[in-house]
Amino acid sequence: MTDVRAPETDPFDPAAEREDQPRPGRSSPGGAFGLADWLKWGWRQLTSMRIALILLFLLALASVPGSMLPQQGNNPSGVQQYYASHPALAPWLDRLGLFDVFAAPWFAAIYLLLFASLVGCVVPRTIRLAGSARTLPPRAPRHLTRLPRSAEYVTTLPPRDAVDVAARVLSGRGFRLRRPDDTDQGWVSAEKGYLREAGNLLFHLALLGVLVSVALGGLFGYKANRLLVQGQSFADTVSALDEFHPGRFVTAASLGPFTMTLNRFDARYITSGQQRGQPAAFDARVTYTERPGGPARTFDLDVNRPLSVDGAKVYLIGHGYAPVFTVTDARGQVVYNQPTPFVAGTSGNFLSQGVVKVPDAQPEQLGFTGVFVPTAVDVGGTLESVFPAADNPVVSLIAYAGNLGMDSGPTQSVYQLDTSGMRRLTDSPQVLQPGQTLKLPGGQGTITFTGYVPWVSLAITHDPGQLPALICGIAALGGLLLSFMIRRRRVFVRARANPAAQAGSTVQVGGLARTDASGGFEAEFATLAAELRSAHEQAAPARPAPQQAAPDRHEGE
Amino acid sequence: MLRALSSRALSTRTGRRTVVLAAAALAGVLLIVVLATGWAGSGNSSVTTVDGSTSAVLYSAGHRPLAPEFTATTLTGSKLSLSDYRGKVVVLNFWGSWCVPCRAEAPTLAALAAKYQPSGVSFLGVDVRDTTASALAFAHIFHITYPSVSDESSAITLDFTAKVPIAGTPTTLVVDRTGHIAGAVFGTVTYSELTAILAKVTAKGG
Repeated sequence: MTDVRAPETDPFDPAAEREDQPRPGRSSPGGAFGLADWLKWGWRQLTSMRIALILLFLLALASVPGSMLPQQGNNPSGVQQYYASHPALAPWLDRLGLFDVFAAPWFAAIYLLLFASLVGCVVPRTIRLAGSARTLPPRAPRHLTRLPRSAEYVTTLPPRDAVDVAARVLSGRGFRLRRPDDTDQGWVSAEKGYLREAGNLLFHLALLGVLVSVALGGLFGYKANRLLVQGQSFADTVSALDEFHPGRFVTAASLGPFTMTLNRFDARYITSGQQRGQPAAFDARVTYTERPGGPARTFDLDVNRPLSVDGAKVYLIGHGYAPVFTVTDARGQVVYNQPTPFVAGTSGNFLSQGVVKVPDAQPEQLGFTGVFVPTAVDVGGTLESVFPAADNPVVSLIAYAGNLGMDSGPTQSVYQLDTSGMRRLTDSPQVLQPGQTLKLPGGQGTITFTGYVPWVSLAITHDPGQLPALICGIAALGGLLLSFMIRRRRVFVRARANPAAQAGSTVQVGGLARTDASGGFEAEFATLAAELRSAHEQAAPARPAPQQAAPDRHEGE
Repeated sequence: MLRALSSRALSTRTGRRTVVLAAAALAGVLLIVVLATGWAGSGNSSVTTVDGSTSAVLYSAGHRPLAPEFTATTLTGSKLSLSDYRGKVVVLNFWGSWCVPCRAEAPTLAALAAKYQPSGVSFLGVDVRDTTASALAFAHIFHITYPSVSDESSAITLDFTAKVPIAGTPTTLVVDRTGHIAGAVFGTVTYSELTAILAKVTAKGG
């Protein structure tokens, strides 16, 4: 990425030593365009401003699906829902990595290319700017009156003294000076506004810093999910997390040692009008400790009110119902007694689905697929939920017996029942209200729907790149402002022996701003020229009146 | 003419130098990343693998982390502390009735417990993210006779994770007579892995 504004070289400045050498032509004259030329051409394209902007735009564009589609990292159940509602499209989106955009190879490609583009631009530019910061202003042109701004007057000072005085004034105004080796030549060059380049450099370096910060977050940060049933606790350790996406350098030991308990969760809904059933307020009251044995604190988590604990942020990202079931097996032994999180489907009003697995029931393993209906209404034989709050909760269960497939083989999802090794015990779904018990046929046991508790879904993220990214972002903005607001300008002063007067000299002042986007150099130059002139007048030894009447065509009093 | 030529040669050289410098800078950044990656992945000399398996390790004497103390409620409702076992070798198994590989290794653990308990090795389960009803049913089915403490909130697991990288259930740790973690099996335990670790830890005051 090169300069955002005017070209480095200045067409108005005949004396400017070109810092930015003209680039060699695309094809070497008379020679074949070889591999080296192609590589060089490719590199030059990659590090060009245009390509960098295109890559930046692509990066922004590539993040769009990440906010439109559910992402594996922060919303795995959303991805499952998407699969359920778009069975044909979802596998293709998955193949394109659109459910995990930030881990997709094409996203990494854009990111790395942008990084290479910026590095390839900023590093040579830094070297050049460092060099340019050391170089002195160019020699004063011979005819200063040809410059965009100029003034001319006479002074009684000899040329050498006149230049000395001018140099002092310019130096006092913060200009960097250049005098000829032979001080008799009678000129001084001055330049100001190097901060503009520094701002430009700061902008580029800060952009690089933003990218490094984001990479830092990716390497040393982590994202995790945990479903927490009301009344339960968890510790921020890998085995207590449902989903864990660590960065490259994150180990099990780098997780924060906080613990958290969900004391209660309330969701209130709008009960009337057009928006009936829409959420009005959520409140998840948690108790947490920063480290084991530390003081317990409480916090009210809300959708846009995450908890910062131990370098990590805990977000409330979802909620649902966990019906509580008690299962006894054929021996009459209680083999299952716990809240079982059910996940809301797409049909609305928290009609939720879930699975109960009882692997240690005897003589056979038991499994149930169920639907939890918070406010149930019988519509022509099927249960529908008419409101998201649990005003009339019922569950509908189908019971299975056989082999759950849990004693060997791959890890199972707790939301899916593999019925391939099982037989159905009940023909139709059995509807239970809180407190009701279903007796399984053949004396296989019983299942009781004892009630329900809410659960919340928490996203736990740790991103060490967040603060550096913010600082770099501010620095980039500051650099950009500097480079826009500060003009790089040059002022030259020449004093020649005045042929009309024996001891006096003619002073020419010329000035130009290399970039004057915001304007204002004209006024600055006028002030400076006036200041130079009064300095010369003050420094001039008192002279008899006639000699001061030297012609002054520009000023013409 | 001469001047134009030399200026062109100079400009080409400067351009090439810029490209080379930029490429070198990029290569440097990549090198640092690669080195950092390799460095982070390199092993620790105080740990040796057991029985040709990378998931079973022995910590050499002097490098054994101290097992964090805990007091918790067992599945049958009594209180139990790890320090109750001081002076004994303890096999500490992190498990859950919901965990498929835990179910797969349960018969192995039951057999090993039957073999080693008479010779003074204690077995203790840490039941992670589970309920008493399910855990007791599990113990009944798999004939697990040794006690388990409930770690529903994973708090005990968290304390141990600070010492050894427990990435989930099952994980089996062997605590020596001084209360230090001497060996670990990350994932499903095999009969030969645990036998090999116990042979080392129980030998001559291990």
